Amino acid sequence: MKKINISYFVVTMLGIWITFSQCDKTPPENPAFEPYAETSLDANAGNWKTYLTIDSNKTAVPTPDAAGSAAYLTELDNLRSKMAAATAEEKELAVWWGGNGVLRWHEIARELAANYNVPPNYVYDTTGNPVYPALVFNPANPDAYPRVPFTNPPVTSRMLALLAVAQYDALVACWHRKFQHNRLAPYKNATDIQPLIPVSDLPSYPSEDAVVAAASREILKFIFPREVANVIAKAEEHKNSRLWAGANVQSDLSAGDSLGRVIALNVINEWAKKDKMGAANNQANYPNLKADANARGITQLWTSRDIPSRPPMLPFFGNVKTWNFDEATKISLRPPVPPQPGSAELEADLNELRNIAKNRTREQQRITTFWADGAGSYTPPGHWNRRAGELIYEKQFNEIRSARAMALVNTALEDAGITCWDVKYFYLLPRPTEIDPKVTTGTGIPNFPAYTSGHSTFSAAGAEVLSYLFPEHAGDLQAMAKEASNSRIYGCIHYRVDCEVGLEVGKKVGEYAVIRGRNDGSE
Amino acid sequence: MRHYYLSFFLLLCGTALAQTPTDGLMMPQGQLCILGQYSNSKWENYWQGETKRSNLNLGSLTTQNAMLMGNYGISKNLNAMIGLPYVWTSSDVSYITGQKGIQDLSVFVKYQALEMAAAGGTFKVQATGGLSTPLSNYTPDILPFSIGLHSQTASLRAILNYTADFGLYVTAQAGHTWRSTTKLDRDAYIFNNELIYSDEMPVPNLFDYSARLGFIKPRFQAEVWYDSYTGLSGDDIRYNEAPQASNKMAAAQAGVFGKYFITKRLGLLATISQVLSGRNVGESLSWTVGATYFLDINKKGDEEVGK
Repeated sequence: MKKINISYFVVTMLGIWITFSQCDKTPPENPAFEPYAETSLDANAGNWKTYLTIDSNKTAVPTPDAAGSAAYLTELDNLRSKMAAATAEEKELAVWWGGNGVLRWHEIARELAANYNVPPNYVYDTTGNPVYPALVFNPANPDAYPRVPFTNPPVTSRMLALLAVAQYDALVACWHRKFQHNRLAPYKNATDIQPLIPVSDLPSYPSEDAVVAAASREILKFIFPREVANVIAKAEEHKNSRLWAGANVQSDLSAGDSLGRVIALNVINEWAKKDKMGAANNQANYPNLKADANARGITQLWTSRDIPSRPPMLPFFGNVKTWNFDEATKISLRPPVPPQPGSAELEADLNELRNIAKNRTREQQRITTFWADGAGSYTPPGHWNRRAGELIYEKQFNEIRSARAMALVNTALEDAGITCWDVKYFYLLPRPTEIDPKVTTGTGIPNFPAYTSGHSTFSAAGAEVLSYLFPEHAGDLQAMAKEASNSRIYGCIHYRVDCEVGLEVGKKVGEYAVIRGRNDGSE
Repeated sequence: MRHYYLSFFLLLCGTALAQTPTDGLMMPQGQLCILGQYSNSKWENYWQGETKRSNLNLGSLTTQNAMLMGNYGISKNLNAMIGLPYVWTSSDVSYITGQKGIQDLSVFVKYQALEMAAAGGTFKVQATGGLSTPLSNYTPDILPFSIGLHSQTASLRAILNYTADFGLYVTAQAGHTWRSTTKLDRDAYIFNNELIYSDEMPVPNLFDYSARLGFIKPRFQAEVWYDSYTGLSGDDIRYNEAPQASNKMAAAQAGVFGKYFITKRLGLLATISQVLSGRNVGESLSWTVGATYFLDINKKGDEEVGK
């Protein structure tokens, strides 16, 4: 009797284990973002104001073959073959890319930002001291850590702004050529071609998708040397998705690719190589910033909380060229000197933090972590970039309006970062924990001065531009910005004054992008 | 990076009458054992994936645990256990606020499927089924400071025990633990280099086994043990980043356990253990001290105490 029990028992246990040990342990699927048809073509968008001057000779595309020409009929036949040969996976990709290529590339960029957002670990030098390795890309050993670039918030804000500007400028040029050549899409020329995605009356030459793919590819290649092959493959996939979907013929794509590439190279050569980013991490000149602050009567200066002491993050990012206002305006946005350590005002702010550190509520911790956007995340600019994408999708903007919205938001975010970094290294205010180690924190202490809060500046700027673009969301956007700002107080890494002043400055930064938006010819 | 979260690891109760979800002992019918214990687990080195390292910014991380547990003999072959830990964490270097709170309530049922005399002793086969659920709203999203992963679990294990009449015993057990997803405070995270737009994070299931060799008498017990567990899926801690609940955590550890009964009802116990190897966990040195007390819930069971 016992023996029967035991074998029954063993078999049951094994059965249960085999059944349940196979449980799916993958994360949830990301939102699908179903394709939609544009409600407006924005036929005059070819005249919208670009960020950089564009030499129209460089954006000329060959006159396309006429609809009835033998060459075009061959293209249609090739398209039919591509569609017929498309695998199930390729059809899925056609739908994945089919909604909004601008937003897909921002999604890819945010994923890259999150993956590369890792501060270098220290290594031990020959004398046994921990030191931080230099951040230099080594093509011979691309996978070695630390990887380049370190996509911290300023670097990510710039990357996203360059991406958005290249997409937007390229699409303006694309729209200009589309309505110059007015080629009908293949599904309009041949009724047997049934596209896999919703389509519109938008002229198909040059392809807006190929333009976005090429522009995005060139910017991401420039920023992420280790990702060149992956980014090229993504762009090819994006362009091919238009064939699998039956949405473009090959010449639409070829013309779009060359146009998108030219505009992106224009952004790289005329902006990214001249914006002073190359000098943003000039550690040799950092002592000058400290001496300047001393000369202005500021005596207690920020020092790194990292062990070993880490060189300050991008001390000269504040000198990088802004998008929506000039250098003099940036200086005029500098807030007054913050209350100094030992002052009654800063002591009051510190008391608030001492209290929170001792009694941080669960909700305060949740808000701290939700907005922390620290190492391994897409950073605060990425957080607002994501929100922008969600709202664009909700309103089903067409490709060029999506690019315009992204350019307005992401240039404002980089401007916010630059303006904030200028302030941080002008005043060099120590973090609260440096003044009082009892102020323990709910998240990591960023490796740069406290005043003003980057999160507050980024968030107010992002919320300001998004409130202009999506006025019906102004209330919740402003509430998000306030919560993002408060999260730094709850986390005890910022004084209240850092956050409140950061919000004020960020709002002003955002207003400059809004002024640009009102005058870019799109309203 | 954390040492083993699952409360059952910390459950140690009784001696001659001792029984945990993983040992080979049973409570007699009608007996209730109450355990109070304190555990301290500390590590400085940890495994980032399979690479062992330390972190000057973290120093050494200490997890402390105060635990209350009850074990009741429903019948000679069926025991029910319940445990509730209070956990707090701290670092000697980091400026991050240590976390504290009531962790996960666990309940277990242990069934003895076979008990037979064999080769001058007794051979037993048992099974344990367990469930656990977080009892407070602690965050799983500030590892390694979080007090747990805030996941619900179910476990099943089988136990083989041979005890010689003169007191020597060996126990082998293996178990499987299913773990629910956990809800993060973030709404985006990286899993295997992919950016996931969700606050829902998968927590790997676990397989574990252990072996024990000891000597047991009515008044005392001494044991050496080896324990190994491994996550059955999951990602690794990324370069120079904090761990997260989706990490594939694994560890092998060895320990020594002793127990002594001051009176028939009151026993004292102590354990010390060291993690020998691991993945995405700390190289913990852990120790536990505790006391057990026996109560008779009905007279009928009393006569079996000390048998």
